[in-house]
Amino acid sequence: MTCTRTEIEDFLYHEAALIDEWRTTEWHGLFTEDAEYLVPPSENPDADKDTALFIINDDFHRLKQRAVRLTKRTAHAEFPHSIVRHMISNVRIVEQNTNEVEVHFNQVVYRSKRQITDTYVCYVRQRLVKNGDSFKIRSKRVMLATDTLRPQGRISIIL
Amino acid sequence: MPIPLPLGPTGFIRDDREKHEFLVPRRAFTSPEVLAAERERIFSTCWLYAAHASELSGPNAFVSRRVGGRELVISRDDNGELHGFYNTCSHRGAMVCRQKAGNSKFFVCPYHGWTFNSAGAMTQQPAESGFPEGFFSDGAKDLTHVPRMDIYRDFIFVNYDAHATGLVDYLAGATEFLDIVADQSAIGMEITEGNHEYSMRANWKLLLENSADGYHAMTTHASYFDYLQSTNGSFRTDFNPSDIGGTCVDLGNGHAAIEYVAPWGRPVAQWVPQWGEDGRTAVTQLMADLVARHGTQRAQRIAERNRNILIFPNLVINDIMALTVRTFQPVNEGYLEVNAWSLAPSEEHADVRKYRQYNFLEFLGPAGFATPDDVEMLELCQQGYQNLPEPMWNDISKGMSKAVNGSDDELQMRTFWRQWNKLMLA
Repeated sequence: MTCTRTEIEDFLYHEAALIDEWRTTEWHGLFTEDAEYLVPPSENPDADKDTALFIINDDFHRLKQRAVRLTKRTAHAEFPHSIVRHMISNVRIVEQNTNEVEVHFNQVVYRSKRQITDTYVCYVRQRLVKNGDSFKIRSKRVMLATDTLRPQGRISIIL
Repeated sequence: MPIPLPLGPTGFIRDDREKHEFLVPRRAFTSPEVLAAERERIFSTCWLYAAHASELSGPNAFVSRRVGGRELVISRDDNGELHGFYNTCSHRGAMVCRQKAGNSKFFVCPYHGWTFNSAGAMTQQPAESGFPEGFFSDGAKDLTHVPRMDIYRDFIFVNYDAHATGLVDYLAGATEFLDIVADQSAIGMEITEGNHEYSMRANWKLLLENSADGYHAMTTHASYFDYLQSTNGSFRTDFNPSDIGGTCVDLGNGHAAIEYVAPWGRPVAQWVPQWGEDGRTAVTQLMADLVARHGTQRAQRIAERNRNILIFPNLVINDIMALTVRTFQPVNEGYLEVNAWSLAPSEEHADVRKYRQYNFLEFLGPAGFATPDDVEMLELCQQGYQNLPEPMWNDISKGMSKAVNGSDDELQMRTFWRQWNKLMLA
């Protein structure tokens, strides 16, 4: 059964809502056990994650710990939580088979704290695994569409 | 140019060795006049890290980047010799090189086609007439070289002062620590693919202080240590907290280093169970190689001790669970840009390289579990300083009453500030 753009968008909007609402533990629950969450170097989105220095290179364990860390007061960069909002568009189904769907989309993420709002412009490639009526995420590869991490200075939120 | 800081008996800092009190004026972090004076007296007179030789892999290789606030091209010419010149066309000043890195025998300015070779010498321009014959043949229109450039163990530095002291003299006792880093490889260290270019809304000196600060580890980075605890096999099985034994040394000329033992794995060369049996074999071999090259004592120092090295004014080399070369420069008094690279033995085993890069981005990277909290701390300081004129002074006296400072004392910051003070008073 092929899935439609609308079904994919519903899922992506749901994932974004979990992040924006700081429901990070539930967000982690969307991933498969062999999942990866990657932010490659700006100048080479197809860099090899075993040799190049990435910005984020999380396996399932590390992305869970990322989610857990964000629930703690000792994650100082996000205590108190900043205000975050994802805007998603240009969603395209690039490939699908009985089990999986490859989705490409653009997003802009706003993070606001102490009167400064930083903007992360990204394009994302996600590989989703069909899971009953919904999906799980096997791969979330977020490319920053900016040549440096300036002036944002850090990624302390989930993109 | 007047520096708007109160002058006392020890200059702009309060360095009272009887009372064991060391105070730094907060206005040093917030004043545009102080920054203007720093650009003149520090960034235009000190040796500044520009690039690593491994980033210029052969003849006609180049990198272009901002060093101490000026846009440079560092290149190798056709013979492989290193050059450093300003990225400014000798015609009407456009930036000639617009790529961050690459390989090219020529740089052609896109504005009027003036062409320069990889040594920065002008070779041609397209106009048929309008200039006297041979007007560029004497080198007068070559791209302007930086006044000084020199290299130590593959670390390339520039100096904007033609009369500056030589690099090795300048480095003073820091050469001991640069040697330990460079000695990790038998054939040469290399900068890996991927570097981190980020920023902080804070004064550049705050990052210098933070980069070798052992005192903040357990509070600022509590959640990083929680992460290590929850990650099976990330701690060394043979670690004993009583081993930490950190020391801090003043290396002369404003440079300093802390050295200590830690529970995390080191790609050169302390294994942790997370790296598996293949990792253990690779690390054991690495240690054997180090012993063969350097003898047991030096090999143990290289492999088993961690180092945070500060090279005045703005180079940090942290040889910890990964190895970073980090430079930063002020854009204005409240905003800095950071460049951070991962440095590794070029012959490194693939498994060890993989864990090195994980270690780097988990702790040192701007999206990991530690550096974002450092960014937060420095930004909180910069905002806290807006409450001038009261309260006025930072206190960095920790360890001042001790004969020997540990890695969680503040001698490394005092060393920086004493040099800063000396140059600002000059």
